[in-house]
Amino acid sequence: MTTDTATYRRDLLRALRSHHVAPERMGEIVAEVESHVAETGETPVEAFGPAAEYAAGFAGPRPLTARLAGIGLMVLGLACGWLIANGIFGLVTDERVHGMPAGVALLVGALLWLPPMVGQLRRQQPVADPRTGRRITPGPGAVVASMSVFLVLLAGVTWLLALLTQ
Amino acid sequence: MPNDTWPSEWLRAVLPLCVLAAVADEETYGYAVAQRLQAGGLGTVKGGTLYPVLNRLEEEGLVTSSWREGAGGPGRKYFAVTTAGAEHLAARAAAWQSFTERAAGLLPSVRSSR
Repeated sequence: MTTDTATYRRDLLRALRSHHVAPERMGEIVAEVESHVAETGETPVEAFGPAAEYAAGFAGPRPLTARLAGIGLMVLGLACGWLIANGIFGLVTDERVHGMPAGVALLVGALLWLPPMVGQLRRQQPVADPRTGRRITPGPGAVVASMSVFLVLLAGVTWLLALLTQ
Repeated sequence: MPNDTWPSEWLRAVLPLCVLAAVADEETYGYAVAQRLQAGGLGTVKGGTLYPVLNRLEEEGLVTSSWREGAGGPGRKYFAVTTAGAEHLAARAAAWQSFTERAAGLLPSVRSSR
């Protein structure tokens, strides 16, 4: 696969996902693009236009429940980040956070991370290439790892800031 | 008029029927359909236009598709017409013929406009 095709695949999958296209359909659309350009010798952009524009043609209606769930998970994510950041500050400065021990705030923050993680795992269902049956999107392990790295980075930066500003 | 300058609204109207006709002739794949349309004088039909049409035909139950191994390539998606698709094509092709004849009757002929 050329760099053009690999980049287009990544962008197309991301755009289709943002339009809530079903995983089986996403696999079909990506395979059609790759099969077609392999025959014509065109780049994917020449044959199908920018990935975001091509994906927009497959956009389906987003149910209200999905929108509400998205907002709910975002609020939980923000609360999680807030509690973890304040919990770390509290631990370093030996102060309570919103009336609770800093360690408890940190623990509650970490627990609040779980619903967004589960939500992301449900949203990012694996997409298979219909030609080979092989998965073309990151597996659940990669999703968990990338989200955990973000959390660890947030905690690390907060801890450093707390030490520097103490 | 050169092949590649047909007004886009004309192509939008006739493309589903022409694509269905190409698939009805023989089980075929996207690139071959595009070549067929170009050879027939409709100009270059890009993948970004062609596959959504093929997918819509499949959603409407007029064609079916299946992936097969390509000759050294990554695999091709073949499309075949269904019974409903063949009936739809016959009815619409007749209606299209009648429609274009009537529309042509309303337009000044090429000879009289010179």
